[in-house]
Parts: sequence; C-alpha cells; structure tokens
Amino acid sequence: MAEITARAAEVTTAVTAAGAARAGPAGPGRARRARRRLAPLAWLGPAIALIAVVVLWPIVTLAQTSMQDITPIGVTIGSAGANNFRQLLDDPNLPGILVRTLVWVAAVVGLTMLASLGLAQLFNQRFPGRRVARWALIAPWAASVMMTALIFRWMLQPDNGVINVFLHQLGIVRQFDSNTSSWLGRPDSAMAWMIGVAVFVSLPFTSYTLLAGLQAIPGELFEAARMDGASRWRAYRSITLPLLRPAFAVAMVINLMNVFNSFPIIWEMTRGGPGYETNTTTVFMYNLKQSYLGEAAAMSVINFGLIIIIVLAYLRVSRAARTEAG
Amino acid sequence: MKQWRIPALAIGAAVAVTLAGCGSSGGSTAGGTTLTFFGADYGTGPANSTAKYWKAIAAAFHQANPGITVSVQTVDWTDFPDKVQTLVQNKQFPDILEGDTAPQFAQSHLLYPDSAVLSPAVLHNLLPTFLKDGRYQGTDYGIPFTTSTRALYYNKKIFAAAHLSSPPATWAQLRSDAAAIKAKGYIGYGMPLGSEEAQAEALLWFLGNGGGYLNAAGKYAINSPQNVQALEFMSQLVKAGDTQPSPGSTDRKDIWASFAQGRVGMMLGSPAVIPIIQAAGVLKPADYGTADVPGRTGPLTSTLGVHDDIVAFSTGGHQAAIRKFLDFAYSDAFQLQFDREYDLLPATQSAAAVLGRDPMFAAFLKNIPDSVNYPSAANWTTVENQIKTTLGQAVTGSPQGILNAIQHTATSGG
Repeated sequence: MAEITARAAEVTTAVTAAGAARAGPAGPGRARRARRRLAPLAWLGPAIALIAVVVLWPIVTLAQTSMQDITPIGVTIGSAGANNFRQLLDDPNLPGILVRTLVWVAAVVGLTMLASLGLAQLFNQRFPGRRVARWALIAPWAASVMMTALIFRWMLQPDNGVINVFLHQLGIVRQFDSNTSSWLGRPDSAMAWMIGVAVFVSLPFTSYTLLAGLQAIPGELFEAARMDGASRWRAYRSITLPLLRPAFAVAMVINLMNVFNSFPIIWEMTRGGPGYETNTTTVFMYNLKQSYLGEAAAMSVINFGLIIIIVLAYLRVSRAARTEAG
Repeated sequence: MKQWRIPALAIGAAVAVTLAGCGSSGGSTAGGTTLTFFGADYGTGPANSTAKYWKAIAAAFHQANPGITVSVQTVDWTDFPDKVQTLVQNKQFPDILEGDTAPQFAQSHLLYPDSAVLSPAVLHNLLPTFLKDGRYQGTDYGIPFTTSTRALYYNKKIFAAAHLSSPPATWAQLRSDAAAIKAKGYIGYGMPLGSEEAQAEALLWFLGNGGGYLNAAGKYAINSPQNVQALEFMSQLVKAGDTQPSPGSTDRKDIWASFAQGRVGMMLGSPAVIPIIQAAGVLKPADYGTADVPGRTGPLTSTLGVHDDIVAFSTGGHQAAIRKFLDFAYSDAFQLQFDREYDLLPATQSAAAVLGRDPMFAAFLKNIPDSVNYPSAANWTTVENQIKTTLGQAVTGSPQGILNAIQHTATSGG
C-alpha cells in the first residue's frame, strides 16, 4: 500500500506543478487560477468516480458485512464485532483448507509455468503448420472455464465417462462404478484431476506471454553465442532465461492471482466435496455463504488481504524486472 | 471536449445500471395494485417452466380482477436459495414467495399469517399434516402448495435377472438383494448422499431404525444411537460395494437418471422419478415397481413427506390483493394441473381426493397422513446445509463424529 500511496503523491505533485506552471506568474485572478488548477478533475473525475463506485464501494460494503450478524435468510440483526472472524478462525475445517489452497496454488502455477516454458519454446520454432498449432493453443482459453470443467466431470463419470472407458480398455480401471473409477469421489484423486484441468486452462495465456517474451530476444545474441562456441543448453541458461525474466514475472503473478481466485473448476467438478475435502478458501467462502453470511464475508476479507499481498509482490517483482531489463 | 465525452458516457451508463439494479419491487401503479410473485421452477427447461403455469393463473386472475396485476418470476431450484437470500438481504421482498419454509421468515416478522391471506374455506381444505411445519409460536405462516412422499423404486427386470421375486421389506433383505444384483453387474442400491438431498436419504434410513432428526419431545436428536446405527449399516453396504461408489459425491439426480437408464436395482424416490423414466425411454411401466421403504425389522409405517410452501410477505402491505389471488390460485383445477405437469402431489384435500383415483399417485398419496416431515425449527436450514455438505462422509468415516458436529450446530443457538 505504501508504494501505491507514494506513487499517487508523485502524480499529484506533478499535476499540481504543471497546473501552476501553466497559470503563469501574473494570473488574471484567483478564481480563474483555482478553476485551472481544478481543470484536470474534469478528466480524472469520471475515472475516480468509477473506481470509487465499482472498486472501493464493494470493499467497504464487504468489510461492513463481515462485522454484521446476519441470519441465514439474509436479515441483518446487528453488529457482530469480531465474532464472525473468531468463528471462522475456530472452524476445524479451516487449517486443512488453507494448506490445500497453498498446495493448489503452488501446484497449478508451478506446473503451468514449467509446461508453458516448453510450449513457448516449441511455438517459437519454425515448423509447417505453426500458425494452425498456435491457434489451437488458444482453444482452452477461448472456451468457458465452466464448460471445460463440466466436460471433464462428464468424462470422469464412474459408470461411462470417456476417460474411464479408455482406462478400462487399457486395463487400468478394472470395473466401472467402482472406487477406482470414481475419480472425483476421492479427495486426493479429485484434487489431482482438478489441478490438471486448472493447468490446462492456464496454459494458453502463460504460453503466449512467454512466447511474446521469446520473440523480443534479438537473434544476434544467439548467433554471437554460437560463434563463441556456447552449447544450446548454455545459450538457453545464459541468454534466454535472463531475458525472459520480465515476461516470466508477469505471467507468474497474474497466474498466482487467477488460480487463487479460481472458483468454477472446483465448484463444477466437486462442489468442494466430499465434505470440505476439496475446498480452497475461495470455494469455502461460497460454501459458508449458504448459512453464515457474516462469516463468509469475513473469509472474503481474509482472501482480499491475501490478494493484496500478492499484488504488492507483483508490483515489487515487476519493478525489479523493469529496472533490470531497462 | 471530445475526449471527455467517453468517460462521461461511461459514468452515465454505470449510474444507470446501478439505478436499474435498485429498481423497487412491486407497488401500486396507476392502474391498480401490482403483486410480485417469486417462485421456484420445477421444470427441466423453457418448455415446461413453472413460470408458464403461474403466468396463466395470473392472466386468468387479472381478467377476473382487472385492478390487480401479478408479475411472475421463477428461478431454477439450484439458484433458488441464493436468489431468495439476495432478495431478502437487499430488502426487495416479493409479495408472494413459493418454495421456501415459513418459520425463518416468521421469526423476522416478515409474513402475514395464513388466516390473513386465505379465506376460511381454502384454509380448511389444506392437508393438515403439512400445516404444522409452517407454525411459528403457535401461528401458521406456511401455506403448503405442493407435496410429495417417498417410496422404494425397484427394477423388476434386474430383480428377475438376479432371481429375486419380491422387493425387500427389511434391511437384511435389502443387503442380500443388493449383493445379488451387484453380482449381475448392476448397482445394487443407489444411495445419494451428495449435497443435493442427503437430508432425505439419511432421514429415511434413520426412520427405519426408529430414529430421526427429532426425538419424541420434538428436540433435535441427530446424534442418537439409532441414527448412528443406521449410518453404520449404510457404510457396510458401501464398503461391500453394494451401492454406487462415493455416495457423498453422488446427487439424487445422478441416481435417478441411472435408475431410468436401467443400471440401478433399487433406490428411494418420489413420484417425480416417473417423468425421468419416461423421458429416458429405457424402462417400460411394467419394468419397474414401487414398494414401501424397508426398515430394520419391516417396512416403514411412516415415510418422509416433503412440501413446498407459499408464504405471503407483509412488507408490501398488499394483504387484500394477496388474499384474492391465493384464493383464486388454490382451486382444484390449478392444483391438479401442477401435479400432472410435474408428477407431484397436491396440498389440498379436495385435489388429493381427485388424484387418488389414479393408482400411480394413490401409492404415494396413501403415505401422506402418516408422513414425517423435516424439523420446522427456524434454524433447520442451517442444520440442513451442514447435513447436505458433511453427512456423505459418515458412510466412509466416523458416523458418530459427524452426527455430533451436526447436533452441536443444531443445539447451539444459531
């Protein structure tokens, strides 16, 4: 937050200085000078108002809701103080959910970044049909995440899902309607499949970001390295990876936020069940909402705090990367 | 000037959208009174949407009472609780709400009592079994609109293939029948304990062991020994593979669809299963039958009865208009039309008498007088949500621990 405030102060100073400079020394009157000074507001005003209404207002409402006592049908009884937070932190399911959220974010983002590095490299090569292949990579991105998740759920149906039929023919799933074929009924295998789906839908964006980064690296560098006798692996480590860092950092942090907030995949595939065994904090917030609106708002506030931390990390990382690249 | 027209337009649009979102609900227009009706949708798509049913009633009613217009909105069952919660939280109360239970609204002083919005003749025609659930501090606030009861469905073809002659009456028979059916490659007994309706499946098993959600004194007794035993028996079935895998992740609609496809030997269901079987086109009417729900020592004498209520909100102040509309809507013709459309049961005695002449409905109607309903405490919805989410794990984990946690929620004020 401190950084954002500092930057806002810089902007304000700059604007004020510009206004003062234009007003000139012998201004025709105080009123006009004030009007000129306020002139930028006409341009900034709508944007500020929009931010206030669309961004800040919901946050304030959220914070208020998290401290209210609300019945399950939605009637507000009064203030709950910190009770919602206390109840949430006392929830026996919460520690498991926090750990699972961490595993979920780390696994999905980690696997996505690794796979995307390879994919971006591949799509940076010249090969026949590259244009078609590049278009095909967009498909999981263009498709609705909800539909993708739903289709995976159908493919994993224990009795006749196409993945089970395939695995049955390979002899891995011996019997339909058995525990083995019920992939989404067991928390560990359900998590594994959902991580797979999340990686699948995150790949296009990440690969394209990295591909753009790769294309920005001048070819002469590789040529020079080759003349100096550097191996391909050496060139990759010493040229590609360092110059790819800004693109990598952007893709990484945007993925972190995206995956942390990811709701439709888990909701469509398991609803967070069985029990609370496949809930992440985002899904848990929605589950709480059914009976405990205040507590759900408290969970949202905590989620929001975690997101702020990620955003700050993003600002720091991107600035560091920019300094280095510049 | 040109540049700032776009932000100005944007903010204008944003304000317009925000204001539109705050539009008031109902009220008196120049032409007379407008009632807002918000209901659950029982249809499977636009073709048989419940909105059609209510709009036809509203149109007929408007013709008879030109001073009153009823604006109808329905929403799919899945989204219904969320939508109602949002309406209440934003104080956009409808005048009439169909689909929810009354006590939680009555507790917040939002409702008219039944006697204020129904004429005595209509009020006394309601099935008395279901009235008590809408009672709050001695006054009835819930008006039963549609009802249903449960029975055991069994696939006669599968039973013949497994050399079984009659449906089970006891748990022991159910277990051996399920094992025999499983040996033929079908699902023996379909046990949906997923979040859709775990509370119904569980209650039918609890009742079979003399348990239930309440004890004889009407207090929550969710972790009673009878209930724990019932869950232990269920988990034996699951472990033996006599059910479908992962009951805690299986919704009712999945099992009903599998039964309609001819892959399930036995399951519990309401009359609403019949249209699903017909739509699938796999089973002919002679291929399946219904029987009483088995219990530990014999068939259940009282089965689960569920009902969806209409409640009338006092927040809009349209008592007279609501009363006129509800008296109009509770005619036998409309009740029967609804039941034939969705294969549900009526909520009025006169409509039940007419429908009882149909043997298919009669099998379910006979269970109404002795039916056991869900608790009517104001916190039942909260308890129910926890049952829906967690009970499925009782058949794979510890029944006692999970029932204790639910009982704790039920009895700890909230």
